Amino acid sequence: MLQVDFEFRYDRSGAATAAAPQTAPGVVCRWQDPAAEPRVTVLLGASGSGKTTVLRCLAGLERPQRGRIQFGGHVWFDASTGVHVPPHRRNVGVLFQDYALFPHLSVARNIAFGASEMSRTAAARRLEELIDVFRLRGLETRLPRALSGGQQQRVALARAVFRRPQLLLLDEPLSALDRPTRDEVREDLRLLIHELAIPAYLVSHDRVDALTLADRTIVLDDGRVVQAGPTQEVFDHPATAAAARLVGIDTILLGRITAVRDGLARIQVEGRDVWAEAPADAGHEAALCIRAEDVALARHEVIDSSAMNRWRAVVRSEAREGPFVRVALDCGFHLSALVTRDAWQRLGLKPGDEAWAVAKAASIRSLPRG
Amino acid sequence: MRAALALALAAGLLGAGQARPPAVVRVAAAADLKFALDEIAVRLSRRDPPIRVDATYGSSGSMHAQLRQRAPFDVYLSADIGYPRDLVARGIGSSRDLFTYATGRLVVWVPAGSTLPIERDGVRALEGARRIAIANPRHAPYGRAAEAVLRSAGLWAHVRPRLVMAENVAQAAQFGQSGAADAAIIARSLAVNPALRAGRLLDVDPGTHPPVIQGGLILPWTGSRAAAETFRDYLLSAEGRDLLAEYGFGPAGD
Amino acid sequence: MDWIAVGVTLKLAALTTAALAAIGLPLAYWLATTRRAWRPLVDAAVAVPLLLPPTVLGFYLLMSTGPDTLAGRVYARVAGGTLPFSFAGVWLASVLYNLPFAVRPFAAGFAAIDRRLLEAARCLGASPVRTFATVVLPLSWPAVLAGLVLAFAHTVGEFGVVLMVGGNIPGVTRTIALAIYDDVQALDYGAAHEASALLLVFAVCVLALTYTLQRRTPAV
Repeated sequence: MLQVDFEFRYDRSGAATAAAPQTAPGVVCRWQDPAAEPRVTVLLGASGSGKTTVLRCLAGLERPQRGRIQFGGHVWFDASTGVHVPPHRRNVGVLFQDYALFPHLSVARNIAFGASEMSRTAAARRLEELIDVFRLRGLETRLPRALSGGQQQRVALARAVFRRPQLLLLDEPLSALDRPTRDEVREDLRLLIHELAIPAYLVSHDRVDALTLADRTIVLDDGRVVQAGPTQEVFDHPATAAAARLVGIDTILLGRITAVRDGLARIQVEGRDVWAEAPADAGHEAALCIRAEDVALARHEVIDSSAMNRWRAVVRSEAREGPFVRVALDCGFHLSALVTRDAWQRLGLKPGDEAWAVAKAASIRSLPRG
Repeated sequence: MRAALALALAAGLLGAGQARPPAVVRVAAAADLKFALDEIAVRLSRRDPPIRVDATYGSSGSMHAQLRQRAPFDVYLSADIGYPRDLVARGIGSSRDLFTYATGRLVVWVPAGSTLPIERDGVRALEGARRIAIANPRHAPYGRAAEAVLRSAGLWAHVRPRLVMAENVAQAAQFGQSGAADAAIIARSLAVNPALRAGRLLDVDPGTHPPVIQGGLILPWTGSRAAAETFRDYLLSAEGRDLLAEYGFGPAGD
Repeated sequence: MDWIAVGVTLKLAALTTAALAAIGLPLAYWLATTRRAWRPLVDAAVAVPLLLPPTVLGFYLLMSTGPDTLAGRVYARVAGGTLPFSFAGVWLASVLYNLPFAVRPFAAGFAAIDRRLLEAARCLGASPVRTFATVVLPLSWPAVLAGLVLAFAHTVGEFGVVLMVGGNIPGVTRTIALAIYDDVQALDYGAAHEASALLLVFAVCVLALTYTLQRRTPAV
């Protein structure tokens, strides 16, 4: 469906790019999305990673310097032939970060703004349909400034899909909302996008958005695609340390590989040993990803369990997280553990106490350094 | 509705019965002709058939520059025949349409209460003036004549830093009249204006400057040649000459 | 009171303002939204009349459109007559001289609009023209109106350019400002007072109107 292979440099004159083509600031991305049925893909990245730039290139608001963008049978951009279809001729619906609702037009006129090529009756019917779907009945004549954040977002989304676009692009759709509203609206959004059944690309820095809304995740770091695949897989098996950070791995350690036997590696971190599956191309160094929920705590050393990693630790701090407690430990290196409140109370530990941290080698992901 | 139509028709018919609208002569006139030409215009409009004179005034030199660019006038009345002659030499207009209509006269003018003793010392009284207004000699014939007068009196180098150069001789008169300058050397034809009558005059001896030969030209692109010729003929007629004499001009060929 | 001169002045001001709306609005829109590298050059070119003495502009126009020039000959063939000393010539001079007084307020108004709104309109299928008409103009009308009012008023007050290019021909190129100049030279202070008072009142009203408009912002 969508084939993307382009390069966009921020430096317009080209001087910096010519001088150092590999490192000049910009976005280089390539992926294919051959799926026939509509899916939601999230472009996940920290701020400055170029994800909004990618979206803007897909919308036609920016023109890459090199490459090609093709959607279905339409070539939207091809540097070699000089083709660049302007935004008003790609049938793409865009939801902007702060919605960009026209302040001088009512809700109804905002939504129907794209109606220029429809007949009057068709447009009216479509408007009614969307007002129902997006639950905006009774708000048709209001101006955008008289709406709540969630309502504004629904209006913006209704406006974006009015012309039945082939592709939906959403730029950080939830970041303009405060936290409580965000959770509520996120669920709303999930249902709406599902109901609309249009392929969608969503830009976000929040891994919860990715986990909740997206079927596929594309991770961007510093303008480059570092991983692309089904969301669950990306989250379970981040391919690089950068991806790992973005999907929210709690502890990432750097260490030196001191031994490898049958695919199992012993890695030294700050003088302590960590056992984990050997990374794919094992050099001398590795990055280790340990999720807090994979770390168990004990008062005394547990000798005859299957867990290969047992570290003596000092409790530094505790913090409640709903039914859990997040514990910060010092094992010679910093480690994060997530245990139930019941268990924590049973253990009776408090900051300053000594304890043992236990982690299974199988749950620790090791990545080649970098 | 029908009454209005009938009225309009009647007005139209009435109009048709009257004389045709007057022919218009557009004159590019030297500034010193302001008051004289206004009077001539009144007289010509009362004639049968009437002629309307639309005059634009300025220094003869700047008019000359405009006419070189084919400014749409019918007749050029310059304060210096050198300018129209130059136009003919450049192929603009024919020497047949060249004519002399008057000789310019200069006066020294001071406000009534001025302490400058022009009656006693003549032009030399200007030595004590703080600021003297004359037309700009670069493009105004009266300005060149004023310079000649001051040189003849041996004052030029002395008063030069105190000269106020006006764009044309009418503006020089205005500078004097408004008090911007203590004294002005201007055309006699301008001094007849009521506003300037409240001042003192001294006729300048014509021998102290080259004669101001005022000449004119009918322009080749005129659209109203008949009217333009009528206008010129009036200027040169006895009535016209008398009128000009009334306004302080000397006769042509003097 | 020279009503003919007032008529010439109003006609000149109205036609100049109309021409500036036709030329200035697209130009200002381009200036406010383009990202081309040579935008500052165009910006500066538009602003030049602010710094030039009107006589300079008048002089160059006279030299470049006189009957012996290419432009002058073309005009003579098409319209019969010369550009200098005609109403058309003064109109041209007036449009050029007043360009910054219209374009700069227009462009400032357009530039104040959130760029995201324009992008949203484009993504919704609106061509640049439709975006201008349905989004830009409704959101910037006070600035546009202020520019038009300013251009009109500035034309009424023009002197130097009209004098140099127009030849002060009654009923054709003699505007009220020139008529005042003539009146003073003719020592007719009464007429000069009348016309000057009229222009002064006009100027005060225009300023009051412009400032009121500038304080009004459309719904944001």
